[in-house]
Amino acid sequence: MSETTKAPTLWSSIREMPANVWHSVFRNPLPSDDYGRSSTSFTNFFLHIHPVKVNRNTLRPIYTLGLGLMSFFLFLILVVTGVLLMFYYVPSTTQAYDRMLDLRGTVAFGTFLRNMHRWSAHGMVGVVFLHMCRVFLTGSYKKPREFNWVLGVGLFLLTLFLSFTGYLLPWDQLAFWAITVGTAIAGYAPVIGQEVRFLLLGDATVGQEALLRFYVLHVAVLPLAMTLLIVLHFWRIRKDGGLSRPVEADEAETPAAPVTVSVRAVQMAKDKIYGLQGFVRGPFTKVGNTPDKTVYAWPNLIIAELFVFVLTLAVILTLSLLYDAPLEEPVSVLHPPNPAKAPWYFLGLQEMVSYSAFWGGVGIPTVFVILLLIAPYVDRAQKGVGKWFSRERLLANTIFLSFVITNIIFVIIGTFFRGANWEFVSPWK
Amino acid sequence: MRLALAIASFVVLLVHGAVFYKQFFHKWENYQTGYFDQARTLAKTPAEKAALDARQPRVEQFIVTSFGDTRVDRCGTCHMAMDDPRFDKHAQPMRTHSYSAALGDGQVNGKWERRHKFADFGCTVCHDGQGRGLQAHYSHGEDHYWPDPLAGYVVQANWRKEFQPKLKGKEYMESNCAQCHTEEGFSGTTHVDRGRKLFFSNNCYGCHRIEGLSDGTQGPDLTEVGKKFKLDYLMESIVDPRANLATSFMPKFNLSDADVKDMVIFLKSRRGVNFAETSLQRYRAVLNAKRPADEAAKEPVLQGAALISQGEKLVTDRACTACHKLGARDGGVAPDLSFEGLLKEEAWVEEHFKNPRLSISDSIMPAFRFADADFKAMTAYLVSLKTAPAMTNGAESYKALCLRCHGEKGDGHGPIAWYLDPYPRDLTKAGFINSKSMERLTSSIKNGVAGTSMPAWGRTLNDTQAQAVLQYVFDTYTKEKRREVKPQKAPDKNPVAMSAESVSRGEAAFINRCAGCHGRKADGKGPNSPDILPRPRNLRNTAFVESVSDRRLFESILYGVQGSAMPSWIDYGLSQNDVGDLVNFVRSINQKSPVRSANARGN
Repeated sequence: MSETTKAPTLWSSIREMPANVWHSVFRNPLPSDDYGRSSTSFTNFFLHIHPVKVNRNTLRPIYTLGLGLMSFFLFLILVVTGVLLMFYYVPSTTQAYDRMLDLRGTVAFGTFLRNMHRWSAHGMVGVVFLHMCRVFLTGSYKKPREFNWVLGVGLFLLTLFLSFTGYLLPWDQLAFWAITVGTAIAGYAPVIGQEVRFLLLGDATVGQEALLRFYVLHVAVLPLAMTLLIVLHFWRIRKDGGLSRPVEADEAETPAAPVTVSVRAVQMAKDKIYGLQGFVRGPFTKVGNTPDKTVYAWPNLIIAELFVFVLTLAVILTLSLLYDAPLEEPVSVLHPPNPAKAPWYFLGLQEMVSYSAFWGGVGIPTVFVILLLIAPYVDRAQKGVGKWFSRERLLANTIFLSFVITNIIFVIIGTFFRGANWEFVSPWK
Repeated sequence: MRLALAIASFVVLLVHGAVFYKQFFHKWENYQTGYFDQARTLAKTPAEKAALDARQPRVEQFIVTSFGDTRVDRCGTCHMAMDDPRFDKHAQPMRTHSYSAALGDGQVNGKWERRHKFADFGCTVCHDGQGRGLQAHYSHGEDHYWPDPLAGYVVQANWRKEFQPKLKGKEYMESNCAQCHTEEGFSGTTHVDRGRKLFFSNNCYGCHRIEGLSDGTQGPDLTEVGKKFKLDYLMESIVDPRANLATSFMPKFNLSDADVKDMVIFLKSRRGVNFAETSLQRYRAVLNAKRPADEAAKEPVLQGAALISQGEKLVTDRACTACHKLGARDGGVAPDLSFEGLLKEEAWVEEHFKNPRLSISDSIMPAFRFADADFKAMTAYLVSLKTAPAMTNGAESYKALCLRCHGEKGDGHGPIAWYLDPYPRDLTKAGFINSKSMERLTSSIKNGVAGTSMPAWGRTLNDTQAQAVLQYVFDTYTKEKRREVKPQKAPDKNPVAMSAESVSRGEAAFINRCAGCHGRKADGKGPNSPDILPRPRNLRNTAFVESVSDRRLFESILYGVQGSAMPSWIDYGLSQNDVGDLVNFVRSINQKSPVRSANARGN
């Protein structure tokens, strides 16, 4: 390109403009060699969150099931559809339901947008939960990834709370009574329960104040918190040495001369100039050029991510085409449905509340969350990391799975087997 | 991987295609272009044609602010021709809305002019349905979540099948006419009027409150019932009161289909709104309603026959026979009043009017708030009824006096038994009948049973007749041969002195042993009670408890009650002193109001 010394003429500027614009935005051509693949990942803002090379184990679909990415893509779908829905929604008790009717009847793609938002939200709760199960069952929360696990638990709770706050916004009977039940569960906490409930609702009952608060939480506060935590979560993946993997995955295929990488205690000498890498601590993804089990992120990782994205989108689109998001009767404060049920992911709690208000609604969930948070600091053995259901982790996995399965059973009972007055009913009748 | 990616991408593309297709091909656009085409052929002038050519399909809507909350009615988007008289022979959705003099429409210069202009009223004020929708399923209210489907035209799929045909018909729209045309006797709301009359003639007013009409407290307030419930629920509540709430004691009244329909229309019109009234008028009405009634307009005090005939008129007007039997009229719910003078004293009747649950603690009779003078007159009339029915033998006496409660088979399931609490005695239970002495059975017939609906037949039946009825019961229902009743060992007087300690011991024992059936509140409604007949006794029925001797309480607790679920507690380790504590406890909870006990003893 630079063989000519001629000053650019106006005509050549115009003629070369498309190419120049393109090259100013995308500095690398489509890569054809390893150098190009490296610099593509390195110089693109959206791609440089990826390492240049990733371990092959990371790309095994059966290892991650793509659940973390799926959660992220669902979050993206939710942000996009949510922003579009915000153009039509008014958080007012007199208008909210009418706006729902307009979305369903008059607004272009209104029903479809709402369906996508609804099913993505439900999907995200499920997928985030499954992601957590994956991380636990593969022992991936262990050192050095303890804190990222804690962040993940935070993200799970945020997901639940986001979904819960969004549940109220349609202002129909389903929303109103689910939130009434849900916030009543919060009220069972000792000492602060009623205060927390009042803080959430801004009133003694669900009403205009609650709608406004839930709206602000749902569209501003929680998504921002979520974004921050997601950014931290991703950054920590890189800094903690990529996705977890078994020890064997890092062993070179052909033993090479050992490369000792130890930069932990860099002696700062006055007369020496250090490159940035001199300060980097912790395990490196790759140093040297020994044959190993890594592949270039471009295109291997990128295409896998793209597939997960398209798959997620396809599932959500199909669901949204086939099933409409529910919209029940307008709110009638004096006319509770029987039974009034919380959103499905809280039905396990509601079922437990039917046995004991404090333990079911507050005690057991709090204990469960605390157990999750301290798990990596209690279970510190480094064995069995990076393998599904490894022998060494039988005890931990059994404890975790029994909690999970109990909760799932309670959710199923609460969803399908509870009728009027929370009495046991058979769903097949 | 690449193949999977391609397949997934293809699915995304397909769904997009489907969504865009749905978005850009609306049914209502077809209706509109259809209308334009037809209107073009009917057009007479080129200008009219040109105007039609220029029109593009668009959402048509009325925004109505005059009737309560703002309504957005987009019905005209499909029903394009509703105000175009040339389309009166077309099929829906393209038919003209009919013109009718009954609706106030009139001819002006040979053209129909509407009284209720669509631009002012919209559509859903009269028709219900969901104005904002653009798909028939939603806008007609077929979606079962929508509270008000098109009144009289659309029934929802989950409504009771047998009600669905009955809930169709234009007359259901009258409930919406009545939102503005509230005056009685308005020619357009005859069904609402008839429903209102039925509300009074069936004595609904006795239990239910409707603001401005009635002030009953026994049943739910119906002031806004039309807003809260759909037509099928209203109908179900009338014809099958226990369908929704198994413990409802609302009687099943004898109503024809037409009656039920008119009551449903009337109830649907009770929406707690009145578009004809301004908020200032409403405020004034409430204010005036609170003012004490004018004392000056006192009626002259009636005496003797005049009082009785005034009472008869009141009893008739106020629809006592919606529940009670009186001569030929029988509501099928409450006891026979045809010979009340033989059964009750004047004081009892008057007191019972004012507070039915004083003498029969579980009576479902509402406490009416009539004037004292009215109660006096009605009492005078009822106690003047002293003609016993003709009966020559036990069978006839049973038929005339006992059958309504104890039933044709003597098993206690008489026609009105369901509404009585305590439930009538099952006379076929030989275990019970034969374990009671002749004196006790005779006394129950002659003196009645206090606190229950069993009246004292002493002045209706003479001793021979009473014996004959008893014999008839033995022979026909009990059947088993009578054995000699041995006296059981029980103290005549409670040996344990009444004291706070004894009562609290008794209460502890009661919660421990008795609450399962008799309930923690001792009201006979314990968790086991629904499965038991005869029902566990309500031990807060003061009139009954006071009429029973210590000896009988001891006998019932120590040795149980044969033919009932009450076990013999002596077998379960209760000593005589424990029973004494229990008796003291039961007596203590019936001593709250001295007035009440004085009154009960007066019988």
